Amino acid sequence: MKKILSLLMALVMLLSLSACSGDNGSTDNGQTTNPTDTTNEKTELTMGYQTDPEGLDPQRTAAASTFSITNNIYDTLVGVTSDWEIIPRLAKSWEISEDGMEITFALRDDVYFHNGRQFKASDVEFTFNRLKDAESPKAGDYENIVKIETIDDYNIKFSTEKLDVELLKWFAYPWTAIVPEEAVNNLKTEPVGTGAFKLKEWVPQQRIVLQRNDNYYGEKAKLETVKLMLIPDATSMIAGLQVGDLDIIPLTGDQVTMIEGNPEYSVVSQPMNAVQIMSLNTNNEILANEKVRQAMAMAINKDEVIEASSFGYGDKIGSHLPSTSPDYYDTNSVMEYNVEKAKELLKEAGYENGFEIKMTLPKNYQIHVDAGQVIADQLSKIGIKVNVELVEWGTWLSEVYGAKNFETTVVGHTGRLDSYAFLKRYKSDSDDYISLKTGEVDALLEQALQELDDNKRKEIYQEIQIILANKLPAIYIQAPHTMFGMSSNVEGMSIFPIDVYDFKDVYFK
Amino acid sequence: MLNYILSRFKSSIVVLFVVSIITFAVLMIIPGDPAQLILGTEATPDVVQELHSAMGLDKPLYEQYGNWLINLLKFDMGTSYLYGESVTTLILNCLPITLSVALYSMIIATIIAFIFGIISAIKKDSVIDYFSRSIMQLGTAIPSFWIGMVFVVFFGLKLKWFPISGYVPASESFLGFIKSITMPSVVLAIGEFGLLLRIIRSSMQESISQDYMDMAKVKGLSMGKIYLKYALRGAMVAPLTIIGMQFAKLVGGTTVVETVFALPGLGRLVLTAVEHRDIVLLQGLVMFITSSVILITFIVDILIMFMNPRIKTFERGE
Repeated sequence: MKKILSLLMALVMLLSLSACSGDNGSTDNGQTTNPTDTTNEKTELTMGYQTDPEGLDPQRTAAASTFSITNNIYDTLVGVTSDWEIIPRLAKSWEISEDGMEITFALRDDVYFHNGRQFKASDVEFTFNRLKDAESPKAGDYENIVKIETIDDYNIKFSTEKLDVELLKWFAYPWTAIVPEEAVNNLKTEPVGTGAFKLKEWVPQQRIVLQRNDNYYGEKAKLETVKLMLIPDATSMIAGLQVGDLDIIPLTGDQVTMIEGNPEYSVVSQPMNAVQIMSLNTNNEILANEKVRQAMAMAINKDEVIEASSFGYGDKIGSHLPSTSPDYYDTNSVMEYNVEKAKELLKEAGYENGFEIKMTLPKNYQIHVDAGQVIADQLSKIGIKVNVELVEWGTWLSEVYGAKNFETTVVGHTGRLDSYAFLKRYKSDSDDYISLKTGEVDALLEQALQELDDNKRKEIYQEIQIILANKLPAIYIQAPHTMFGMSSNVEGMSIFPIDVYDFKDVYFK
Repeated sequence: MLNYILSRFKSSIVVLFVVSIITFAVLMIIPGDPAQLILGTEATPDVVQELHSAMGLDKPLYEQYGNWLINLLKFDMGTSYLYGESVTTLILNCLPITLSVALYSMIIATIIAFIFGIISAIKKDSVIDYFSRSIMQLGTAIPSFWIGMVFVVFFGLKLKWFPISGYVPASESFLGFIKSITMPSVVLAIGEFGLLLRIIRSSMQESISQDYMDMAKVKGLSMGKIYLKYALRGAMVAPLTIIGMQFAKLVGGTTVVETVFALPGLGRLVLTAVEHRDIVLLQGLVMFITSSVILITFIVDILIMFMNPRIKTFERGE
């Protein structure tokens, strides 16, 4: 008996020993701030987030979870405001050649990387070459830039193959963030940028801590520390805000009612630069029939779908541009909800008795699953039996998006700053999982890309939106809202047309 | 004894090898391309193809597996594509959390199960027996994520006894560490103690009905001594095996509870690795978890050998 006891004791001790030795000394000292302390001196912000970034290297991922964070560590040549306006960042100014094929940036001469080295034009050249190499997910987007010339330390020229009137916008995306050559091998875990914050620590699955960069060239951040805590569960997240552990959390529609109207909290909400659509595979014999697609669009009550999937926090759309886009044109009246007319159209198409169709939904995204299920129910009212199948995101990407092996699906598409980049998947030769096979928008898109007159360009995009709204390669549902719940003393958190956070201007009242 | 350990060790190596092949094969068969996952919904097909080759995913399978195996033999589990961090570091970061929660919850579950199990066996069909049988069923039936949420809202938000989520390392504050793992451990213990209680109750009953119990009574030993020294010892084998199995299961990660309480344990790491098809990370995790399960069952087997003289003699006799 004694032997067994001592063996057990040894086991317990061994295990508890290993339990204590964990976390490899990554304790941080700035932890003593009392969360209930609301004096003006509070400079530590704690925010909840739900997905770990895919490394912190801006040229080696396409994940929004990465860019939200890296936008604070690195800088791009130009930035974008919440109102879609392009503003100087690392570039003081820029000049576009008369033919529109070249752009020259004049860079700031007072910028230093976090490792102390001064930022120069050669870093820009290095970064863009890295952005265009084989391992870069965004390489394909920058094929149009064919020549990069460093004129001197603070001037750099980019030349394009063909005219793109929105060229400047390509330099505002977070994946164009400038990186120093000497640090590129470890950027995923040890990012070195020029941004307003430095990375203090990142413990995967736990937290990311950013610290103010006191050598920042612009107006320095008001916060000293930004602590991002990984909380995967939505209930725990909102509970964290309610007890005061968290100052800002991302919110979904169903949670807004829990904190709305309470003076202790505030909610920021803005339509996202993104669209939720129900793609229809026109390779399917039934869905190839335009009348069928129109009947389906008319049978869907989008308000009800938005209510169910986003608790009303979404803007109804009729085409592939979100309501916040400067090129947006309201096409909601083109296919208005009308069950009687939908039935008629279905009859004209020869499917009076309805048909069966499969709907593949990505189960990691509740908003698409909820929307899909409501749509399935609504379609059953005109005799279309929708068989819903839930698949994991990896499967969705390879089966639906990659192999185009689907009938219908509901998914979201993240918008771009220029509409051409966002809409080019509709070209008949795009080889995308959705495209408009008739080729009706091909010429219009090319025209828009080269149209220098802003108003004329808007008209072209208007025409494209109307075509999509009528031909329906997909049924356009909503532009969901991005929402943050914050304790009411937090100010300065904005929502941008690209998926980034900017903590530079955030402060406590 | 040495022979026994040696043969166990040999069979463990075979198990590990087979498991690694199966994991690799399954990852190759299930749909989902890591390159596609990195690129998301804004990628064109040629970009996907290019990244696919840049990541080395177009190499033949045996070559990918062979490379991984050779590195493993050099004690290098590779670097996670997702985190850019070595797999060993990632596992070592999660391990203390998972181990402490597993141990803590097993201690709670074992204590409750033994107290109620022994009493219900002795006082069969009494009020306590009925009570323990019903809480046993409740504990097994209620899903842990639900209890977890109720705990978060009640003990975290309303009463503020425990932190709602997150993990405090013991090196930072021991009290904070205990507080941060108490709620998840209790939730896990609720899920585990039911089965254990039932096993203890039935083995104890069987043990009590043995002839030698009458003998002990006739001999005039005190009831406490009879139950705790003789009956309980005879009834230990089955519960010990179950405790070992349950502990091994908890060490493998408890994804649901880890998610609710935002604990950065092994289960969440496995989930992330699967969702992102981070093959290197997942292989490393599967190897690690399999090894721990093998080790734990091995320790339990040795414990049982000490507990049960019959097995000991049998081994000696060989």
